[in-house]
Formats: sequence, C-alpha cells, structure tokens
Amino acid sequence: MNELCVDVGTMSLNKLGEQSCGDMVQMIRDGEDTVLVLADGLGSGVKANILSTLTSKIIATMIANGMGVDECVKTMIDTLPVCKTRGVAYSTFTIIRISGNETAEIIQYDNPAVILLRNGKNYDYPVTTRTISGKTIMESKVRLQCGDVFIAMSDGTIYAGVGETLNYGWQRENIIKFVEEHYDDNLSAQAVSSLIVDACNDLYQNKPGDDTTAAAIRVRHRQVVNLIFGPPQNPKDLNKMMALFFAKQGKHIVSGGTTSSLTAAYLGKKMETSIDYLDPEIPPIAFIEGVDLVTEGVLTINKALEYAKDFVSGNKLHQKWHSGKDGASQIARMLLEEATDINLYVGRAMNPAHQNPNLPIGFNIKMQLAEDLAKLLQEIGKTVNVSYF
Amino acid sequence: MKVTICIGSSCHLKGSRQVIERLQALVTENGVADSVELGGAFCMKNCVNGVSVSVDGQIHSVKPDTVDEFFDTEILAKVK
Repeated sequence: MNELCVDVGTMSLNKLGEQSCGDMVQMIRDGEDTVLVLADGLGSGVKANILSTLTSKIIATMIANGMGVDECVKTMIDTLPVCKTRGVAYSTFTIIRISGNETAEIIQYDNPAVILLRNGKNYDYPVTTRTISGKTIMESKVRLQCGDVFIAMSDGTIYAGVGETLNYGWQRENIIKFVEEHYDDNLSAQAVSSLIVDACNDLYQNKPGDDTTAAAIRVRHRQVVNLIFGPPQNPKDLNKMMALFFAKQGKHIVSGGTTSSLTAAYLGKKMETSIDYLDPEIPPIAFIEGVDLVTEGVLTINKALEYAKDFVSGNKLHQKWHSGKDGASQIARMLLEEATDINLYVGRAMNPAHQNPNLPIGFNIKMQLAEDLAKLLQEIGKTVNVSYF
Repeated sequence: MKVTICIGSSCHLKGSRQVIERLQALVTENGVADSVELGGAFCMKNCVNGVSVSVDGQIHSVKPDTVDEFFDTEILAKVK
C-alpha cells in the first residue's frame, strides 16, 4: 500500500429556483486509482442535469476503464442529446485522474482551470493544449506530493457576485487568494469545497445566479483511527476485543462509560474523569494513559454522527466541531478530518439500566448509531472496517 | 472528602450537569472548597437510581432538586 492516499470532497449550489443541479460530480475509486469528473451542463435545471449526468458518468466510467481522452470526448459528443433551442450538445468537463496515488492527470474542457495548492500555495502546473473533435482540451500531468490540494470548479464560482457585489465576479485569482488564506493542513477536501461554495453563496447574496460546484482532492498520508464502542456481548470476549483494538496502529478512541472502565482495567491504568461541561449537551471526557480520547458513549457518538451528517450536507456546523474541545467535536475531528482508515470495534453488550423507554440510549439505538456511522464514513470516502463482539 | 458525580449516559440525561454546577456553587458558598474535592466518574453501575453521587465510596442517589438537601446532610454536616 502506497503511503499516500487521497481525500475527496464536493459541494454544489443550485441556481436560484432550480430543483436539480446542472453541475455533476462523479467519482470512481479503485484501490489506489481515483477518477473525478466534474461536468457542467448547458443551461440549468433538468436539462442541464441530464447533460452533466450523462457526461460525467460516461467519462468517469471510460477513463476508469483505461480508455483515452479522445475516445471519451468522441463518445460524449455522439451521445449527448442536442439542445432544441440552442442546436448544440454541450457540457463542459474537468477530469482529474489519480493513478497509483503517485501521479495526477488533469484534463480540462471549458471549466475554470483547476487550482493546485502545494504546501498551501498556488502552484502553476504545466499545461499542453490540443484539439479533439474541434474541442480545445487542456492536459497536464503532475507528480503528487503530500499536501497537494486539487480544486475543480464549475463557472458558477467565478461568476459569483457579477454585477451585484463585484464588478467582474469572483475571478480565479481571487479564489486562489481566498483558499490560500484559509488553508490549513488539517482542512479536509470536503471543508475546502464547502468553504468555496459558501463564499460564492455569500457573494450571490443567497440567490445563486448559476449552478455552483467545487470539488477538491487532497493528497495526504494515511492515518488510522480506531474506535471501540460498548463492551462485548459475552464478557469472555473482552480480552480478545481489547487485544485486537490495541494491536492496531494509529489513534485509539474509547467511547462508553463501562467500556472505558473496562479499558482502564485492561491497561492497568487509572481513569481520570473531568467534570468540565465544555458543551452542555455532551458529558465531559475522561483520560486514560495510552488512549488518545475517552468519552461517554451513546450521547457523544450521536452528536458526532450529527456532525458527520452535516459534513456531507452543507458543513454548517464545521466551525463548531473544528475547534470544539468536547468529546463529540474531538471524535468528529479525528474521524472526519484526520482519519483515512477507520476500524470500529462495536460491543453488543446490553446495559439493562439503559433499557428504559424514557431514555434515548437503549440497545437498538446504540446498534443503529454504529451502523449509521460506519455507512456515513464510507460514503465520505474513508476505508471502514467494522467488527462486532 | 472526595465527592464523585457520575456523568455516564444515563446520569447525564437525569441531570449530572445541574447537580455538578449546584454542588460547585454550594462548595464555594459554604467555604468548604479546601476539604471537599469534586470529581467525575463514568458509570457507577447504579444507572437506575441516577444521578449517582459517591461520598467517600458510598453511593447516593441525587436529583437536581434534591442537591441542596443532599449537600447539607451528606457533605456539609460531615466536614464541619
């Protein structure tokens, strides 16, 4: 396994009054290869949505299967339905293809040029131009470095605020300056996309004049985070569960009151529990030597799950958990931002005292939380392993 | 004297935070901060009767509206 890996995030804004977005992002991952295609269909609404969906699907599938750009473009032109009013079949596209987590190929047609940040600063990558079927295509090849961030955009970003808040819109140079200023090493690809799209929405004064999309790919080192949640169903399995959990490299999070007491006993360490309510809704955290984070269980995980759901649908709570010191914010940071690979160790023991219909912490709720969390983390693009005990 | 308040899931939902805040205030008001140490704990295996508060190892059941009474009889009376 290559020591580098990529983190992908995307965010879109629909043109005011439209129910479907005319921009579409497709991603296909296959081991160490990742293909991301951002297509912007002609016009807006359903028609644009169909054009961009077709374009991105066709290209992503063909490129992922090793076909050349020429064939992709030709297939696309032959396939796209022709717009009745304008008499053309048209969708712009940006392709970023990561191979073996070593190189990136960027192929661009008529979208704003991909921004590449290297060490947090704009990096002008070499571009060659050629014509395929009458279309001018820009091609580049870049050797990946840890910390590289590729940002693909639809033109909704650079037109943000045109004639309203800005004379000429939010030009590419302005966007580069903006992301350079906001850059920090821990910013996830999702956060980068959301930052840009949020800023566009502000410039549009919440009334987007065009579909607006940003998609980011961040190159980073692998980071494993392990989370244990609940004691095993059969107490005899405790040592096995603990041994497997602590054998994994990376960070370790212990979640749950009983679970943390058992962990402290297993490690032969004392547990110190704080009584500082940093977030009134979330029970305080505890400390055990040798464990990176110790939290209460169901309520904390539930909050972390809420942050994870928000992460993929607007990321409005990012500020809160990005800086929060409570258990749920810390879990969110470790799982959503730091981790690339996550191992979940879920214990199926039932706490009889929690089986009270008035308490939202019963066994079923706990299992549902674990399942939802695993599913969501997978959708975000993390490699997730779940083991039940 | 060591007073430990449970902040596990069940007790949290029954008002650990209010109990802690009230106890912190009472300890300061009565000037016994030197002799009473407040701390937290996850789960004392007494979830049904939360909020669980242990005073020198003995577990009591306290609710946000019984904190004052509990403080007078179990803490203040014993340190003075």
